[in-house]
Amino acid sequence: MAAHDSEGSILVFAQFQSKVDEGFWHRLSSLKLNKLGIDDSPIPITGFYAPWSHPQVPNNLTLLAQSLPTELSEQSSTAATSHGNRNRCPVQGTLYNMNTIESFHALDKKNLLKEEAKKIWDDMHTGKAVEDSALLSRFLLISFADLKNWTFHYWFAFPALVLDPPATLVDLRRASEYFSLEEAESVSAACNEWRNSSFTAEVPFFLVSIDPNSQATVKHLKDWETCQSDGHKLLFGFYDPCHLPNNPGWPLRNFLALICVRWSLKSVRFLCYRENRGFADLGLSLVGEALITVSQGWREHQCLPNAVGWEHNKGRQVSRCINLAKSMDPTRLAISAADLNLKLMRWRALPSLNLDALSSIKCLLLGAGTLGCQVARMLLAWGVRKITLLDNGRVAMSNPLRQSLYTLDDCLNGGEFKATAAVKSLTRIFPAVDAEGIVMAIPMPGHPVPNHEEDSVLEDCRRLHDLIDSHDAVFLLTDTRESRWLPTLLCANTNKITITAALGFDSFLVMRHGAGPFSSNHDFRAEAANALSAIGNVARIDSDGRQRLGCYFCNDVIAPIDSTANRTLDQQCTVTRPGLAPIASALAVELLVGILHHPQGIFADGEVANSSSNGSSEQPLGILPHQIRGSLSQFSQMMLVGHSSNSCTACSSTVVSEYQERGMEFIIQAINHPTYLEDLTGLTELMKSASSFNLDWDNETDLEEDDDCVQV
Amino acid sequence: MDILSWDGTLSSGDFRLAACAFMQKWKSVMSAFPPWSWVPCPKQPWGASASHDVEGYLSLENIILSCYAQEEHDEISCPQKEETSCSEKEELIDIATLSNCSKVPYYDLHIIYSASYRVPVLFFRAYYSDGEPLGFNAIEKDLPAHSAKALLDSKWTFITQEEHPYLNRPWFKLHPCGTSEWMKLLFHVDVSVAKNGVTIELYLLSWLSVVGQVVGLRIPLEMLNQP
Repeated sequence: MAAHDSEGSILVFAQFQSKVDEGFWHRLSSLKLNKLGIDDSPIPITGFYAPWSHPQVPNNLTLLAQSLPTELSEQSSTAATSHGNRNRCPVQGTLYNMNTIESFHALDKKNLLKEEAKKIWDDMHTGKAVEDSALLSRFLLISFADLKNWTFHYWFAFPALVLDPPATLVDLRRASEYFSLEEAESVSAACNEWRNSSFTAEVPFFLVSIDPNSQATVKHLKDWETCQSDGHKLLFGFYDPCHLPNNPGWPLRNFLALICVRWSLKSVRFLCYRENRGFADLGLSLVGEALITVSQGWREHQCLPNAVGWEHNKGRQVSRCINLAKSMDPTRLAISAADLNLKLMRWRALPSLNLDALSSIKCLLLGAGTLGCQVARMLLAWGVRKITLLDNGRVAMSNPLRQSLYTLDDCLNGGEFKATAAVKSLTRIFPAVDAEGIVMAIPMPGHPVPNHEEDSVLEDCRRLHDLIDSHDAVFLLTDTRESRWLPTLLCANTNKITITAALGFDSFLVMRHGAGPFSSNHDFRAEAANALSAIGNVARIDSDGRQRLGCYFCNDVIAPIDSTANRTLDQQCTVTRPGLAPIASALAVELLVGILHHPQGIFADGEVANSSSNGSSEQPLGILPHQIRGSLSQFSQMMLVGHSSNSCTACSSTVVSEYQERGMEFIIQAINHPTYLEDLTGLTELMKSASSFNLDWDNETDLEEDDDCVQV
Repeated sequence: MDILSWDGTLSSGDFRLAACAFMQKWKSVMSAFPPWSWVPCPKQPWGASASHDVEGYLSLENIILSCYAQEEHDEISCPQKEETSCSEKEELIDIATLSNCSKVPYYDLHIIYSASYRVPVLFFRAYYSDGEPLGFNAIEKDLPAHSAKALLDSKWTFITQEEHPYLNRPWFKLHPCGTSEWMKLLFHVDVSVAKNGVTIELYLLSWLSVVGQVVGLRIPLEMLNQP
């Protein structure tokens, strides 16, 4: 457009470009939240720029955190004093920060630009711009800070007064081509001196006067009269942020206007001052001559010329938008910090840690009491994000002490539902958790259902069935034996990872249930073998010839009955030593993590400490036990393995297939008639025959060593 | 410093010394880059402060590290007419619009002393020319593939996003827990060290020659051997 060899073409300028450092948005957000509130009056700000010195990219007008007034300062009428240095020449600006996106779009941009341009125009006429030339580069910024989404809409304007008719370019070439060698050397030296002195480094407009001996001096604009009378060669120099070889930078526009207004010059020789690595570079700098042909009327103070200058965004005149959620949204930061923790663990200690499995697993916690609260917290710590808690109780006054998700507030007014309070608490701890609370009672055998309630109990059963179906791991953390029956059956039916934790006064049990009797690993061979073993009292074998591990009820010889009636008060409240619940909960979660990392998952054999070393026990997380029984009175723990019992009232094939055939009808029957289960599984028979002759427990299948015998 | 008993770490006072020496050396050899500067910081009032506590960090900002610097920008010769969305009539011929489509990433590098690990830590961040920050994936794409990848996968380096200790904003950093181990190794194999012993002056340069590669910063080896 403005080639240096074409006479009289319009002078075309490269527009200023903006750069907003993240820190500016942080500071603005904080100002808005803490000080400004809904006040949207204009705020004085400071921008910074410098002569071009980067290879191939222009120097932008930059806003930093310190561009904004500090929150403590009371003066809002004066712009921030210069925090600049030679690479940061301060320039005054005005910020209009709006409160809504609508008001942002509704701003009268034409008028705002005109107002800002008027300030520059006035400064030119009063001479202020000669004293403080940085005023020529005043700028405007409009913005809207959406602090819910951490998105910032903004638009810069660099007001430039339009010469009418526009200036024409007579000549434009590299400064090194324009000056003689001597002159060039002297100009460089003088400019470097100007740039290195703290008095002048931040003054972006200046005069270069070259005497007949080719000695150059750089002077302030206010020395123009003197220079004029000297008669020396005179150039108008300015810090040029632009990098283009054929176009001068934006600051020249207002500079030409100033020269025209103040000194009525028609022909202006200018120097676009650019640097390389901090030193004047006349090969990159440009020298040109412009012709100004405006009318006398244009220069009148009261006739404000037109102004242009809204910044282009990718070639179009639209506002910009930046989203900083990743670095400002506390929830996002919490998520990345949590992830960091786990990743560090994997990096430093456990390269095989499967973080994806942990973050995608869906856990259902039945019971939101002492055990439930602790398990939930431990799961969070392991990076589990999807947690559902089921409990029909309310938070009682004694609960917050032992149930770590509740506080006194949850106990007031009769007490919040535990499931709801737990979800709220988890979300406060870690906002990114996907927690759900279900207020529901678990139907239990031995607690017969009156007819009028049967429908709602059926509904609860179905709901429980669906819940278990839609999760990957289920924790049985309730406070009665019978409440674990139905969940165990449902889990055995669907082969879900099931972990039970149960507390005595000073002892605990933590165990993982084995796979159900009809797991998909089985093929018809196993079916046949099982059909055979139905004759004897042999535990089910799976297709690999191993016995499946037992569930919580496999050790029982009586069916679950109502254990809550006829108990003393303290028994009903399941009083336990406080240390037990955290220990048991922690072990339960670690057990889950172990299962997730074991190649055979729920089909993994139960291991005990000191087991003979074979390949399968060399898992990075250590051994994977079946049952852990601990005693606080002994400060001890032992690991056991129990295999499934054919007479189990919860997971035996008899029971599970009965459920598969008859569904809810079977459940209701079991609930209302607890002896039904014993009859069904043959326990009744078993007990009768046990009293009549000795049963030989050795059988055809290969049992593990004695250590692994079932213990009651 | 006796190399055999040295544990690869640096005291906070030594860090200050090392920083000064480092800035000097850098200026003389890495002239293609701007110089590092020391940014003093106010002492944390609650910190376990002794009078010799490090009160600042090294900073190198606004640099271009990627291959972008070598690419030709094709936007230079396309002045465009602007469409207005403010209703004012603009003079179309008067303005050369540089569409700012070129997304050139700039980097800020800070070297900050970690009192708990007793080693320097490299903090960095990247942003485009309009100030928009780059996420980690974009940085990975931007950096020279070969060296960065090797380092990122190694057990010595681990990039995390953590809060900058002075600026209170998230920056990327190279986790320092492996630093003392490989610094020790580095000095063990360096021939000149065997001759002269471990010197504080060389610490930061040697350290940066390793971690710098993660951000594509190459320090020529001969710089390390100069007296």
